[in-house]
Formats: sequence, structure tokens, C-alpha cells
Amino acid sequence: MQLNQIKDKGHYKVLKMDESQHCISRLMDMGLLPGELIRVRHEAPLGDPISIEFRDCHVSIRLKDAAFLEVDHLTQSK
Amino acid sequence: MNNGLSTIALIGNPNTGKTSLFNALTGQKQRVGNYPGVTVEKKSGLWKLNQSESVTVIDLPGTYSLSAQTIDERITVDVLSGNIPDLSPSLMVIVIDAENLQRNLFLASQASELGLPIVIALNCWDIAERKGIQIDSKLLEKRLGVPVVPTVANQAKGIESLASAVKTALNNQSIMVRPKWPEPVQKAIETLKEDLSQIDEASQALSNGEVQRLIFDASSAVTERIKGDKLEISGAINKAKETIHKGGFHPNAVESIIRFRFLKPILADIIARQATLKKASHSESIDQLLLHRFWGLVIFVGMMYFVFQSVYSWSGPLMQLIEGGIAQVQSVAASALEATPMLQSLIVDGILSGVGAFVIFLPQILVLFLFISLLEETGYMARAAFLMDKLFQWCGLNGKSFVPLLSSYACAIPGILATRTINDKKIRIITIMIAPLMSCSARLPIYILMIGIFVEPTYGPAISGITLFFMHFIGVLVAAPAAYLLNKCIQRKTISTPFVMELPRYRVPNLKSIYERIYESGYAFITSAGTLIFAFTIIIWALFYFPRPAALETEIRNQNTVELFEEANLQAKIDSAYLEQSYGGQLGKTLQPIFNSSGYDWKITVAVIASFPAREVIIATLGILYSLGGEMDENSRDLRASLKNATWEDGKRKGMPVLNIAVAFSIMIFFALCMQCGATVAIIAQELNWLWAIGSFVTLSFIAWIASILTYQSINFFL
Repeated sequence: MQLNQIKDKGHYKVLKMDESQHCISRLMDMGLLPGELIRVRHEAPLGDPISIEFRDCHVSIRLKDAAFLEVDHLTQSK
Repeated sequence: MNNGLSTIALIGNPNTGKTSLFNALTGQKQRVGNYPGVTVEKKSGLWKLNQSESVTVIDLPGTYSLSAQTIDERITVDVLSGNIPDLSPSLMVIVIDAENLQRNLFLASQASELGLPIVIALNCWDIAERKGIQIDSKLLEKRLGVPVVPTVANQAKGIESLASAVKTALNNQSIMVRPKWPEPVQKAIETLKEDLSQIDEASQALSNGEVQRLIFDASSAVTERIKGDKLEISGAINKAKETIHKGGFHPNAVESIIRFRFLKPILADIIARQATLKKASHSESIDQLLLHRFWGLVIFVGMMYFVFQSVYSWSGPLMQLIEGGIAQVQSVAASALEATPMLQSLIVDGILSGVGAFVIFLPQILVLFLFISLLEETGYMARAAFLMDKLFQWCGLNGKSFVPLLSSYACAIPGILATRTINDKKIRIITIMIAPLMSCSARLPIYILMIGIFVEPTYGPAISGITLFFMHFIGVLVAAPAAYLLNKCIQRKTISTPFVMELPRYRVPNLKSIYERIYESGYAFITSAGTLIFAFTIIIWALFYFPRPAALETEIRNQNTVELFEEANLQAKIDSAYLEQSYGGQLGKTLQPIFNSSGYDWKITVAVIASFPAREVIIATLGILYSLGGEMDENSRDLRASLKNATWEDGKRKGMPVLNIAVAFSIMIFFALCMQCGATVAIIAQELNWLWAIGSFVTLSFIAWIASILTYQSINFFL
């Protein structure tokens, strides 16, 4: 599913990224690549943007940009 | 700049303490300017490596990547590849956050391809150590092939070792290890270089790093250096991208994938985390509260209220002190110069009020920047932008515009300065353009005066309150569509940055860098905008002082015998007569037809023109025009009575009252929208350029004029 459609916060695995998008190149430069695990941490009061964490890096992305990330929900092992 | 010294470029990700390091290296010996042709701040300074040797250090903008999506990244590539005249660094110091090695080393890896020797400053060493993160810097140094120096920039630790490492690296020309590119990428680089040198022979000199930027970046700064047919050039680049595509890689993604894959083994066993450390960091638990959907918002509103109140009212005592001080000096000067009236007026009403006109902004600027640097240093500013972003998305702005726009409600000057926290150039321009529409505190007197005369007596305090609120809101109603349109217009020319914003770890603010930010903003304001505001004030003073024939005074004194008029009344009458026949007064009479449809007579027109350098001047000018003297304020009974009873002197409306509720609203709307503030024009010129400054002045004045006509005509129509 796409990252803008997820219902719960928590851990996800990035399956695919649309490399042709500016915002995706930016995330890739920061070290977010396909296969990486991310954690969706916060949602802004108006529902957009959301904040995600990967590799010790906490970033805010807008939902329209999150649509270019395909993710898979991981069941928490805790 | 080129004083025979080597130049060293300082680069690094945002939030790595790069600026602290720059300050620690150069101390107070800094110079701030702009890069040729663009308004990207260029900071340089002198760094004494030892007793005998110094180098010039350039602080490049903080960036995650060289991928040319922002103007900052383009400048960084241009500087590092020696393409800015008089600025070719012979070494780069890359600042790396010890807590975030991998991401920071990505930039280092990109930069290494541009061919310069490198020294790595492993910054925030202390925080990492405290968190139980141990980094084997010696092993990292061995694997990267360049010196790696642990530093704590905000305590100036590790600076000496950094200096000696720089000297060694300059001697040894230490180059960082580079990834081995897969076959298709190598092939693409080689063929592109060949193809380009056939278009422009000079391209042979391009380094591999520069050719990579051409291939990997959507709009590389390097493209502009190649001379020749644009289509041919982009054709060659597309061919190279196609080669990579056919090889099974995406040209936009291959760089990140290969570099991070390359960095992984380099970083293996470098970092040891102590197992005893609690997993959730402090930052994370703070975020649980500050980014909470409800409590986060409550705290945000509280914090913004606090900031706004401090700028709006707590800098008041300081401003009164300045005002009082200047008034004191003015009265001393006035009595000392009584014998020479022109000199007296020049010094008292021209020069001294000119100085007062910009010094008065200092308290607000300093107070706001205290809070802004606190918000930025702690890491909260990014959270504020996160919380507010949605509100701004539709008109092309982002959450970072919130604090500058809120500050503009106190005063547009500190508000516009605060847009320096917005790193996207386009969004910064739009925010600056709409900031003057936020109803600043200087508009309050005219609202109070007009509402006090025409709304409160008839409609009562409740409606008056609503009117006052509406006046503060009307600017936003114009600003929102204006931002939307500006966004559409600038879109094509400027590259917009995707809003992927790091939410950095919370940090304890460093007092020294807060002090430096405050000092810097105050100093920049006084030296550049201050002088302009001063010049404006002098010009307007002259406009309303000259010509000054002595005969006029004698005539009035002869007409009115002393028995009838007290001296003070007589003086007020004389001042009023001089103002009427001054160049400014004549200009007002000439321009009055323009404001005819807005319902203004010549006196209001003169007052409107006189308040272009500073809108609060209208009260004093009206005071003089109605022969009440210049020391009126918005609550003065005499002024209210005079305005209420003023009638048209000639024309078809002769004898009818000038001011009624329609004119009152027309004036308020005009003042709400018009850029009657020389200081704002000057600060826009300082922060952007004169084209934007004059453009926004003309546009806002025009909008205000149209709006004042619409207001007057529609109220007259309906009432």
C-alpha cells in the first residue's frame, strides 16, 4: 500500500519508491532506500504532514509526497 | 578575497553544528556578503592555523546532498568545483554529526568526487559520547583515507587538531575513497564527457564529479557552464541517462543506492553502542508531547502567544525609552538652535527623527531574534513548521512561514528578517511579499482614531471591537490569494524544494550562537536598512519643509492680532499654512483628484502622502493640518472634534462634512493594505533586491487605492 494510505503509526518496510519524484530523490539522499525499515511516528494536527523515522533520522513528509512510497506493514515484534 | 591565502570550504548537513564550527574557527573576523547574482548569504572569515599561517574559510550553506534541487546546493557545487571567480577552495572541511554518520558521509562521498582534498570534522562528539555511542575515529580515518578529527564546535574543542590535520591534508592532498561505479554508470560518464567536449571543448576540463552531477541531478548547475546548443547538451545528458537505464539502474536513484551500499562496509564495526543505554531517546519522549495532536497544538499556541506578546508589548518599555531619549535630545537641540529655524528643523524633525525612525525597531528585532534563535537552536522551529504546514500548503507556502507572518503582526521589519529561517527561496520571497499585509502595530492608531469617531458613538463598543478585529484580519484576506498567485507566477523560474524536513534532535541551546544571531540581525538591520530609512525620512522632511517664504509668517501674524490668538494657536496656524504650501502640500493638492473617488479631500491626501515613510505619521500630520499642532495622538479630543467637523472647502461638495463612516472605512482599508512604511521597503531591498521592494510597494499601494475606492463607493451605495 502507499504510505499516504496507512491507518496506523508504527513500523513499515519500504517496498518501492518512485525515483522520478524530487521528494523521493531527497529522501534517498538522506538514506531512505527501498528495503529500508521506517517507523511512522507522528501525524500533524490537521492530518498532514506525517513524520517518519529511518536510520536515526526523523523527517516530516507531506501526504502527497508519501504517495510515492510503497510500504508494507510489519507486525510489531515487541 | 584572494589575499594570497589558501581558501578552505566548510560543508555539511544542516543541524550538524557547522556554523558553530565556523564561528569557533574564525572568531569575530567574519565577512558576510552574497554570491554573485544570487541572494545566498556568503560567509567567510580568517582562520589562524598557527602563529604564522592563516587560511580563508568559506561557510557554505548546510545541505544534505549536492543534487542541485535548491539554490544552496547549486552554489555549493559551483564553489567546490572552483567555478565562482576569486573563490576556488584548495581543501574542504566536511562537518559530520557523530550521531548520524551514514547520512552525513553521503554528502562527503559526493563531494569527494569533485577532486579536492578533504578533512572530516566529527562534530558533537560529546553528545554522542554521553549517549554511549563510541566511534572508532582512527579506524574510520584509515578506511576513508582522509583525516578524521573529533570536535565539539560549540565549546571550541578539537580546533587545534583540526588545524594540524588541515595542514597535513593540504601537503598530502588526501583524497577520500570513492565508490566503484557499476559498468553502465562508468560508461555513461565516459561517453557524456566525450559528447560534451564535441559541443564545447572546455568540457574536457570537467572532473568526473562534475559529469556525475550532470547525470544524477535533475537540473544541475554544471549545465550552465557548457557553452553550445541547449538542445544538443540536454540530448547528450539524456543519452547518458538512457545508458544507465538500460543497464538496469534508475539514473535518479543509482547514486544514492551505490553510495550507501559503498558506505556500509566502511562503517562496519566503527560504531559501538553501549547496550545499557535506554532505547527511547529524550528527543522521542519530548516529541510524544510536543507533536501530540492535541497537547502539541495547545503548547504551540501558548508558545506563539508568548513570543508574540514579547515582541508586541514587552519590547514596549524599551521602545518608549528610545522614544523618550530621542524626544529629550530633540528638545535640547530645539532650544539650542532656536536662532536658526531651518537648521533647527533639519536637525530636530529631519535627522533626529530619521535616526529615531529606525532605532525604534531595534527592540522588536532583538526580542524576536532571541526567540527565533532559541526556537531554532533547540530544534522546536521544525516542529512548529510540522504542526502548521497543512494551513499553508494550498497556496504554495509551508509551515515555516508561520513564525515570520505572526511576527509581522507586531511589525513587518522583524517579521521579514525572520524569513531567513525559510530555506526555500521561492517560499521565502512569497512570505516576504505578503508580510506587509499583516496588520502591524503602527496601524493601530489610525484604526482607533477612525473607529473612535465614527463607529463607537453610533454603534457601541461591541461593534467597535468587531471592526477592530476585522481590520486586523483583512490583510490576510488579500494575502492568501496574493500568495497563491505569486506561487503560480514564480513557479516556472525557481526550483522548488520538496518539503521533506528533518526534525532534528532537541538540543540545549548554545548561548554564544544565540548571542551571535541576535547581534548579526541587529547589525545588518542598522547598517543596511537603517541608512535607507534615515534617507527616506530626510527626503520627506525636505518635501514638507520647503519652500518656506518668511513673508507667509508675517502675513498671518499681521492678519491675526495677538489679542485674538494666543501664541501657541498662532504658531499652529503658521505651521499649518507652511505645510499647505510646501512641496508635499502642493503634491497632496495636485494628487487629490486621484483620491476623489475614495472620498479624501486635500488634507487627507496630504496626510496619506506624508505617512508613506511611516504610517503612524498620519496622526501628527492631521494635527498640523487642522492647526492643532503636531503633538496629537489618536485619543485627542481636539483632533476627533476637528475631523468630525471638517467640511469640503470647495468643489461640488462644498460645505458638506469631509469625514463620514464611508470615508473613515476607506481610510482604514487604505492603511490596512498600503505599504506606507519606508522601513519595510528598505528591508525588502536588503533581503531580496530593489526590484522586489519597488514592485511590492507599487502593487500594494495600487491594491490599497482600489480597495479604498471600492469601500467608499459601496458604503455610500448601501447606506
